[in-house]
Amino acid sequence: MRRNIAVGILLLLVFVALPGLLSAVGGGYWFRVTTTIGVFAILTMSANLVTGTTGLMSLGHAGFYGIGAYTAALLATKLHWPFLLTLPAAGLVTAAFGILLALPTTRLIGIHFAVATLGLGEIIHLTLLNWVGFTRGPMGISAIPGISLEGLFPASDIGHYYAVAIIAVASALVLGRLTHSYYGNALRAVREDDQCAAAMGLDVVRLKIQSFGFACFFAGVAGALWAHTTGYISPADFRFSESILVLAMIVVGGLGSLPGAVLGAVILLILPEVLRPIGDYRMVVVGAVMFLCILFLPRGLLGETPVLAILRRQFGLAWDRTKHLGWRQ
Amino acid sequence: MSTTILEIRNVSRRFGGLLAVDDFSGSVGRGERVGLIGPNGAGKTTLFNLITGFTPVSSGFIRFDDVELTHLKSFQVARLGIARTFQNLRVMPNLSVFDNVSIGALGELGHSPLAALFGRREQAKAVSQRTWEALERAGLQAQAGELAANLSYGKRKYLEIARALALSPRLLILDEPAAGLNDTETAQLAEFIRKLSNEGLSLLLVEHDMNFVMNLCERVMVMASGRKIADGTPHDVSRDPAVLEAYLGSEESDSPEEAAA
Repeated sequence: MRRNIAVGILLLLVFVALPGLLSAVGGGYWFRVTTTIGVFAILTMSANLVTGTTGLMSLGHAGFYGIGAYTAALLATKLHWPFLLTLPAAGLVTAAFGILLALPTTRLIGIHFAVATLGLGEIIHLTLLNWVGFTRGPMGISAIPGISLEGLFPASDIGHYYAVAIIAVASALVLGRLTHSYYGNALRAVREDDQCAAAMGLDVVRLKIQSFGFACFFAGVAGALWAHTTGYISPADFRFSESILVLAMIVVGGLGSLPGAVLGAVILLILPEVLRPIGDYRMVVVGAVMFLCILFLPRGLLGETPVLAILRRQFGLAWDRTKHLGWRQ
Repeated sequence: MSTTILEIRNVSRRFGGLLAVDDFSGSVGRGERVGLIGPNGAGKTTLFNLITGFTPVSSGFIRFDDVELTHLKSFQVARLGIARTFQNLRVMPNLSVFDNVSIGALGELGHSPLAALFGRREQAKAVSQRTWEALERAGLQAQAGELAANLSYGKRKYLEIARALALSPRLLILDEPAAGLNDTETAQLAEFIRKLSNEGLSLLLVEHDMNFVMNLCERVMVMASGRKIADGTPHDVSRDPAVLEAYLGSEESDSPEEAAA
């Protein structure tokens, strides 16, 4: 009961209150900001699975986001696939790339894995930039069709908002089930001590590859949404700095915490918009906010431990209702 | 079913020029409590790592209940029913006691993302039930919700054993379980381990506390410089001239006889 009320309030907020408020203040620009936040929320939630929960610091997430965006854009512009096909295709192609690249790299640990993914991200970026015949290089791909339902409603800012919101909520649901379950416990064990996890019978390499694959799938989905909602993509959207931005979002929100990942995306995207009046100084303020967050809240705004406890209590995710321990699946 | 649960035959492990384990043969009987002792650097922990698949064997073979372990990975060895604890406590500090112990249950009951996505409730219930059983055996139910980092050193020892028990092992390998405990805690731990053994668990343990080993173990294997130099009852081993020499060669106070006296 409690669970239904909590979920209901969240859904009302995302699907009724927020779009209503945005329409009331006159739309367009703020709809595009919230759409971007939605796309980044999917991206941060997916990065959080691999970096926060499984503990593999990925510095190449923007590269996989880029693969998803280019897959969707090329399928839509060259083969005229509709959005309902390009979206899953982008996710699956990105996941396939991710799993292929994870096979050798997930055997690396700590900083070595981080540097390897940094290299992967750069390779993907440079490929998008220089394979002019296929990706049109620095010119990017333009005139990517927006998200519309044939005959029902045409592509519009509010339509894009709802499409992104629906997919973001669905992604949160899937990623939530993966992390807030015994499977999530197994991933956290890999993060805490992978040798010890192996001694307890966990197939650590397989778990790492799986979590990387899932993370890449949702990064690809985010990329497809980005391509279709903005209508234009170029390699500049998928640079190392985007990977770092995603990392900053999940650290500010609380490494390992799914709601934290969303909150991090909201804060680090809203701040620069709100601070537009102070011009170029705004990035200094954003940097200061990040710095102070880490200084005073090293576990992030919504740290993993309290969030897990709240989820188990509030949403009835625990088997043991009196002690709020364990997970219901 | 044979009476031997673990059989180690002519196992060697070479690290570059160093022969850490040199042609070691030994066994653990079903339900038996076996101690492995030896001076520092004798190769005891390396031998544990060879059994549990953490380090590959250079030559020889290891068999567990008629299954050859020699080329299995550590998670496969664990799933067959060999659980271990570590020399330097390795609990997962950011997870609750319950979640720590659930890892052991997951290792044995399976951990597939599909189960998480298209949940079968029975599986989650089974993991939860197994976890509670292990917590109960180790007397940690009251602390189940605590973060492992907040437990005392002594309790963490029990947490590590509870996690191993959640795997439903047939052989439990303990690497220096009594290290860092005071006399009362050591006695309690010995009692607990004896209880597990009486419930049918086979045990192999490394320990420096000679009293602990001599009182608890039914049989003791002694290692020095990678080789097995003695194997027998605590009483016989503590009088073995080869053992005395190995210990006196390092430090007098390490003499098993003296410590056990």
